[in-house]
Parts: sequence; structure tokens; C-alpha cells
Amino acid sequence: MIRAAALLWLILVVAAALHVGAATLRGLPLQTDLMALLPREDRDPVVQRAKDVANAALSRRVLLLVGHAEPGRARAAAAELERALAGPGLLLPSGDVPPADALKRLGAAYFPHRAGLLAEDDRRRLQEGRGEELVTRALSQVFGFAGFADGRLLARDPLLLFPAFLAALPVPASRLILEDGRPTITENGVTWVLLSGLLPGEATQLALQRRFVTVLAAAEAGLDPGVRLLRLGTLFYAQAGAERAMAETSRIGLISLAGTALLLVAAFRALRPLLLGLLSVTVGLVTALSVCLLLFGELHVAAQLFGASLIGIAADYALLYFAQMFSPEADPRRRLRQVLPGIVLGVATTVVGYLSLMFSPFPGLHQVAVFSAVGLVGSFLTVVLWLPALDRARPADLGRRSKALAAGMWALWSGRRRWVLFGVGLAVAAVGHGRLTVDDDVRRQQPLDPGLAAQQAEIMRLTGFGHSGQFLVVEGVDSEQTLRREEELGGRLAAVVADGGLAGWQAVARFVPSLARQAENRALVAERLTGPYLGGYRARLGLAGAVAAEPEPGPLTPRPVIASGALPLLATLAPEPGLHLVLLEGVRDPAAVRAAVAGLEGVRFVDSTADVSDLLGAYRRRAVWLLAVSALLMAPLLAWRYGWRRLPAVLGPPVAAVALTPAVLALVGLPFSFFSAMALVLVLSIGVDYAVFCAEDRRRDAVTLTGITLAMLTTLLSFGLLAMGDVAGVRAFGATMLVGVPLALLLAPMAGKPFSR
Amino acid sequence: MRWLAVLSALLASFAAMAVEPATLAEGQVLRGRFVQERHLQGFAQPVRSEGSFLLAPGRGLIWAAEQPFAVTTVVTAAGLVQSVGGAETVRLAAARLPVLSRLHAMMAGALAGDWRALEAEFEVIREPAGPRQRIILTPRRAQDNAPSRIVALVGRFVDEVDIERSGGDRDHLAFNGQVLSAGPLRADEAKALAAAAP
Repeated sequence: MIRAAALLWLILVVAAALHVGAATLRGLPLQTDLMALLPREDRDPVVQRAKDVANAALSRRVLLLVGHAEPGRARAAAAELERALAGPGLLLPSGDVPPADALKRLGAAYFPHRAGLLAEDDRRRLQEGRGEELVTRALSQVFGFAGFADGRLLARDPLLLFPAFLAALPVPASRLILEDGRPTITENGVTWVLLSGLLPGEATQLALQRRFVTVLAAAEAGLDPGVRLLRLGTLFYAQAGAERAMAETSRIGLISLAGTALLLVAAFRALRPLLLGLLSVTVGLVTALSVCLLLFGELHVAAQLFGASLIGIAADYALLYFAQMFSPEADPRRRLRQVLPGIVLGVATTVVGYLSLMFSPFPGLHQVAVFSAVGLVGSFLTVVLWLPALDRARPADLGRRSKALAAGMWALWSGRRRWVLFGVGLAVAAVGHGRLTVDDDVRRQQPLDPGLAAQQAEIMRLTGFGHSGQFLVVEGVDSEQTLRREEELGGRLAAVVADGGLAGWQAVARFVPSLARQAENRALVAERLTGPYLGGYRARLGLAGAVAAEPEPGPLTPRPVIASGALPLLATLAPEPGLHLVLLEGVRDPAAVRAAVAGLEGVRFVDSTADVSDLLGAYRRRAVWLLAVSALLMAPLLAWRYGWRRLPAVLGPPVAAVALTPAVLALVGLPFSFFSAMALVLVLSIGVDYAVFCAEDRRRDAVTLTGITLAMLTTLLSFGLLAMGDVAGVRAFGATMLVGVPLALLLAPMAGKPFSR
Repeated sequence: MRWLAVLSALLASFAAMAVEPATLAEGQVLRGRFVQERHLQGFAQPVRSEGSFLLAPGRGLIWAAEQPFAVTTVVTAAGLVQSVGGAETVRLAAARLPVLSRLHAMMAGALAGDWRALEAEFEVIREPAGPRQRIILTPRRAQDNAPSRIVALVGRFVDEVDIERSGGDRDHLAFNGQVLSAGPLRADEAKALAAAAP
């Protein structure tokens, strides 16, 4: 029976290994986007849609500036890079910089509608009754050197308002000049050539990141050594972040693996327990990976890392089993029977705990839940079905010191000492929770690569591209209402710009005024400019009688301007007729922007960074709730085994460890974040396991506590080391484990004490 | 754009000076008077203006129309600034209008005897015209309303420039009283150039 089950399990494991192996050969579909872990925001579908549009347009963009003192070499290098990237389809044309003839088409689209178009500054002057200044400007342009206007233009637009409108358009990247067909800027003796395009896929796909960066690095290595390269794009940040996290995890992973191996070999004085423990964890990982790929089609790196660490708990079952070699029992099957109830209950409670993650709305947590539950069960089955058959260990003696240590731990919670410890625990909890602070700021959790940030600043300064990741969503029933709202908004943003809180902004209404504003502009020009001044102006110039009126084509709408293709940005800004984006540039004072847009109907401020921080906060709160829910779900299982009266003794210690840990961390000044909360989920599972192992021990055996202590040490080696990490989130995770797991161990003997059957 | 044409015309004249005996040396300035007549379509009379100009190699050009409308234009490497009665009416940064910096490069090159920038844009023909020389510039690439032909009559200095445009407009410029001097700029001239510098 057991043999058949073991064989069946072998077949399943081999199948899973083949599946994972084949998937690895094809390239594992790993995701690195932090946002992919977060739920599709349920709060505001409009903002979500706008964000999707903005992300699709902006996050897939890649900008490279290629600089050299000699313009020819800079251009050659840019051409070389373009060939290398566009050849294999890694860079698609984006139309960031319009071709020269597109500008002509833009002028042609605007010109028939010029009567309703006014430069923002001209409009202000007319509103303030300073029409005479515009007349003087026109005269200076006609009589001055390099007259701006030709006869045909003067006849149709005598006061030259149209060229002023065109010159005042807030065109992005206006500092670039097309030279030999390439957007170029020269500064301080260096000629920079812009190479821009779109990625063929999402910037956060690990495989795409690697290919792009590898191809770019190879191409860069082949360039003239004097060439400088500046990069801008989500891809580079995502790649640097993933690279760093992986390097860190694998560095820590190596130390932890070596430490664990040494510990186990020293404890058991044999290699076999280590290898078999490793086998059970590996089987867990492989089966989990296989099931996740089947279910989700892809795997998030974070889910994989977190899930893998959860499966690490499975090593505890193997350890507990091997600790039985210190008991007088020689038959592996009987040894297993000794620990089986504890292990079964441990798996059951932990799986219940993880499955509670399935109820959360976070897609990332679903992956974590499935990954860890499957992996844990896989490891468990390996321990139960295979290990006794593979175990050849003879009974050994535990040694005096280990016995004394275990006895001391058991004794910790007996007699009067118990009350002293309770008092200390309560005091720590009270003081610590009073000092507890919360930190959800995503910038501190996942810092941006400083080198890339410097390159980005340089590119923005050189080119004038300045999207900050912050934008506004403007909504209306139709295009017209949306444009009007943008105009109202524009008045307020201009005030923030004047105060220095904002460098600028891009909005459709700055390129195509609303119909209402076009009508207003006509009236303004007629009343304050042409009415009082045109006659005198014409006479002064000697301009013959009025030109025959051309048929007016009616007011301008955004469509023909977008269709001209001269301003690719406009299509991004107006994804739908009633839904516009307003991109903010150089936001120095987000609070001022927020205050300025407050109360405007249909206008919302979207700050991606702040949103992620909000989400991390929401994540943190939910994780705390999940802790409570999973504790509640474990309760019936434990009560079934130990009875409701004993339940507090078994569930109490892990819950106390969970409650005390943030307090202890607060005492040393560490804030509580989402990452700490996730670590507490682990502390709870591990703590329940320890308590159950103790509760199952009827003889207050030294063997059990030795097994648990070994388990704790390996856990600390794998997670506690994360406290040395560079990334704040990883560090918080590690520190929480470093405090929480030993606490769980110290408290666990409480569960054993009053229990006797 | 008309201003482009006029600028090119002047360029031609300076270029001519570079081959004639009167070449501007470092530190020299050229002063003189001009009469500009612009024959524009839709205008009963040509738009006529006259005034004085100053050209300082490496620093820029001051073009001060006095009649019938007083407007001063200063062109430097940084761009173009116009002012009326001391108040600025137009400012075009070369960074925003790249053509300006390219023209400035052609102008500076021609003044230093380097014709490559100019000849890249124009075909240059020189022919004798009595004691003087006629220089004809034809753009290599046709552009909307850009000059289709520029003809300059050059003696010791540039005397006359005619600019024809594809759109049908025509400009005529006549220069006189040109003086080459080595002295420093007047305070007001230096100030005007500095105000338009980057």
C-alpha cells in the first residue's frame, strides 16, 4: 500500500520534473513587474483605464542618447545601435519625433481654423486689454530685419497671430533638431543623437529585459570608445532592480545553504539527512512550479521567491523525522509514526493558512498560496512516502548538553518563572506597540538605481522630454466637455507653474482649444484687436483692401490634428473622446498640484508612486487581516485534535509570537511594512508547527525540542540572513523572521506542558 | 519665411566680402545704412524701411530700422530679439528655432572665409558686372516660400541685393555708407548685443 503510493508519487514527481525542465528550456515565463502582483484596482475603473493607456504608451518606450564630440561619429553610432536593436525586432518605431513634413501637415491642419486659435500669452494680453502690444509686435515683424511674414500670410493673417500660436505650442522635445534625418542636439561641444522606439513587449518581462540589455551591451561594446550612451526607459529600471534582487537573493542563498549543510552534518554526523532533506524541499519546489505553470501560465519572481521560502518550512518535517534517530526506536517506519501526527497537523494548519491567501483580492498572493500549498504537500508526501525507505540511520545518543538544553526549554514555562515571563512579554508588547510606526513608501522599499536616475535627469535636461510618472485624468461626457475641463484646469496649473511647483504640463486643450474657447477667442480678437486697431494698422502698412473672405471650415476638433501625425503625443493624451490624460512635467510640489486640482469636476490626480505606496499600505492591512483569518481557520483543526479547552495553549504561543515580534522590532526602531506583515504570516505557520510538535510530545522528550531547535536554526539561516539585504523590503522580512521564529520556539513548549492523555 | 531669405541675402553679401579686398578681420566691425523695399503680394505699395546696421564678427548683427517704424533686430548665436522703443516684442531662441543657429553657422563660416556651410545650401555663381561683381545664389533644395534666387551686386562692399521668392514676393535691399572700423563697439551697441546673447 505504502509502496504503491510511493511509486505513484515517484511517477508524478518525474512528470512534474519533465514539465518544469521543458519549460526551463523554452525560457521560464517569469514576471518582474511589482504592479503585476497588485490587484487590478477595483476603486476607480476610469483611472485604471487611463493608467493602462499611459503605461502602454510610456512604459514600453525606450530612449537612448548617443553622444560624441564629432557629429558624424555620434550619428554613425546611433545608426549602429539602431541596426543592432531593430534588426532582431527589439525596438519598434515610436514616432516620438515627427518627420519634417509632418510639421507642414500640422500647419495645414491648423491654418483654416486660425480664427479661433490664439497663443496662450496673446489671449492673456487681449483679456488684459493690451491689444496694442500685438499690433506693435506685428509691425516689428513686418519692418524689422528678417520679416516673418510673406504677402500671402499677411493678407490672410494681417496681425500674424497664427505664427505666434504655432511658436507657442508646448511641443515636447522641442530642443531637438532633425539633422540628416536624426533628432540631434549639440551642447558643450558634444553632439547627442536621439534613438527612440517602443519595446515589442512589456518592459517587465524578464526574458525581454535580458535580451534587450544583452544586445545593447554587445552593440555598445563595438562602438567608438569616445561614444557616450544615456538610457531612459522603464525597462532599464526594471532590469536593474531584478538583477539586484536576484544577485542579493542568490548571494544570501549561498551563505544560507552552506550554513544549513554544515549545521545538519554536525548535528547528525551523517550526510544522508542533509541530502534527504534537500530532496524533500526540491520535490516540493518542482511540483509547485509545475502546478503554477499549469494554472497561471507564468510566474511572478516575487511569488516564486516568497513561495520557495514558504516551502523551506517543509525542511522542518524532514528534520523532525531525522531527530527521531536520537530516540531508541530503530525501525524507520516506527520513527515516522512517532512524528506523523505532528507533521500531518503541521501541514494541515499551514496549508489552511496559505489557502486563506486565496480569499485575498491580490493576484500575486494567489500565486504564492498555490505555490506554497502545493510545494508543502509535495515535500510532506516525500517525507512520509520516501524517507523511511531511504533512511539507513542507526539510533544515536543525543548527548548530555542537548538534553540539558531541551530540559531547560521545557522548564521555561513551569512554576513561578512563567508569570515573570508573561509579565516581561506584556511589558514589551505594551511599550513596543506604543512605538510602532508604519512605512509603506515604495521608494524606500525598492530604491531606484541611482546611475539610471542620473542618466534620466540628463536626458530630460537635454531633450526636454520630461514625463514624471505623475499625471491627471480628465473625464467628460464628450470631447468638448473634457477640453473645457482641461482649460479650467490649465488656468490653475499655470498658477502652480508660476509658483515653481511644476515645470509644465501637456494637455490636448493646449493644442486644440474647446469649441467654447475658440468662439471666445474669435470674440476677443474682434472686440479687442481687429475692431480698434486693424484699420489703422492696414493703412500704416499700405495693405490693400480686405482679402475676399475664404469659406470658414468651422471650428477645429482634435481629430484632424491627431491625424496629421505631427504630434504623436496627442494620441496618447486623448485615448478616448471623453477621457484625456494630462502629463505633468517636473513636479516639485505634488501637494500644490493636488490642491490646485481639488474640486475640479472630472479631474483626478494620479501619482503612480503614491498609488503603489497606498497599495502597499492596503496590502499590509490585508496581510494583517489574513493573519487573523488563517489563525481562525487553524483553530477548528487544532480543537479537533486537542479539544477546545486545550486550544489556547496550542494556538496561544504562535499568536503571542506574532503579536510580540512587531513590538520587539519597534523597540529597536524598525517600522512595520507590508513585508514585515508577510513575514508574520510565516511566523504564524512556523509557530503553529512548533507548538503542535510540542503538543504531540507526550514524554516531554529532549528529541522533539532538539528537532525543533534544528528546524529553527535552518529557518534562521535561510530567512534571518535576509536581514542583511540591501533592499529595505527584503531586510524588513528578514528582521521579522529573525525575531519572530526564535520567539515562536521559546513559546512553543507552553503547548506541551498541560497536555497529557 | 521671409526673414530667412533676407538673412541669406546678407550672408551672401558677407560671403562676397570674404573674397573681395574688404574682408572682415578679427575685431573689426562694419557699419552702414540700408534701404529695404519689400514687394509683397496684396500690398498696393512696397513696404519700405530704412535705417542702419552693424555687423560684428563673432558677436552678431544689429539691424535698426528707423523709418517708417523704429524697430531694432539683434541676431546672435543664441537667437533673434526684436525690440521697439526699448521694449522687447519678439524673442526667438535658436534652441527653439534650430534654423537660426544653422544660418548663424553659415554666416560665421563665410566671414572667416569658409564657404562650405554656405555652398552646402546654395549653388554660387560669380560673374563680372562692369567694375563690380554679381553673385548669384540658388538654393540646392526648393522650399516653400524660400528664396528661389538671390542676386547681390558687390563692389568694395555689397551695394545691392535682390531676393526672389517662389511665392511671388520680392525684396530689394540697397546699402550705402559702409565703413569698416577697428574700434570698440559703442556702449549702446554692446548692450544690445549682450541683451540678445545667451
